[in-house]
Amino acid sequence: MNPSDDELIDALLRSQFDGPVLDEGFSRRVMQRLPQHRRRVAWPVWGGALAGAAACWLALLSSPLLQTGWREWVSGEWSAPAITVLLAMIGMALLALIWGVAEADHR
Amino acid sequence: MADSAAEARVDRALVARVLLGDDRTAFEQLLRRHQGMVRAQLRRLLHGDVATADDLAQETFLLAWRKLDQFRGEARFSTWLYRVAYSCFLQANRKIPPPVGGADEGEAERLPAPEEATDLQLDFERAMRRLSKAEQTVLLHCVQMGLSHEEAAYVLAMPLGTVKTHATRGKAKLKTSLAVWHEAARVEEAS
Repeated sequence: MNPSDDELIDALLRSQFDGPVLDEGFSRRVMQRLPQHRRRVAWPVWGGALAGAAACWLALLSSPLLQTGWREWVSGEWSAPAITVLLAMIGMALLALIWGVAEADHR
Repeated sequence: MADSAAEARVDRALVARVLLGDDRTAFEQLLRRHQGMVRAQLRRLLHGDVATADDLAQETFLLAWRKLDQFRGEARFSTWLYRVAYSCFLQANRKIPPPVGGADEGEAERLPAPEEATDLQLDFERAMRRLSKAEQTVLLHCVQMGLSHEEAAYVLAMPLGTVKTHATRGKAKLKTSLAVWHEAARVEEAS
């Protein structure tokens, strides 16, 4: 392809492109839909997570399930409390993973 | 070139204002400066589907507002926006099932007809439709929107070599398709 052919093709391509579109209220519509703040405030999430963890700890404090389960798990005994504790930990880890992935996707 | 550098500086200043204080006025200025080309890019990618293109353009700017801190200044702000718009287009494209049968003809009907289209322009438009999607997309960004090969590679998330290959092949195919016009022009010049 010689330079003049290239220029002709470029000129024809440019003539097919209409160029920038007129605003005609588009920017106003977008601004109306724009959230007030770019970043979501983080403290309610962390506050909620801490409150939830504290509530769980208080609820399980009087129950022997956690202590028994943990003790038997550490000693390598696969009793019902140990499996329950393991399943609860896997469940919480999975939930945290799903939440983390969803948050990363939204950012 | 100097103009383009000045424009880029203005964009960077506006971006900094948005990042520092969620400045909506600064974002509105960015929006007004770039909406025209982003909408034109999406209209072309969607073969003239104005409504879908404007929906995607709106999504692009809402996403840009949320993800502005990811703009690191490694490209011009406009180039970064085209990249966001192209990602929105690809994501929407995955959700829309391709038309069944006669896709090329269907697309031909929806393409915006240039005003006072000459025979050459119509033939050229037909030749464009015969190019692969990648070639059309690369030529749109490199020639029609005036981006450099490097910028097009950034927008399309393609290796630079691939962009150059698509551009060269696309132009070569267009030239072959328009060979008849070249011959006619040469005969006319000779006579």
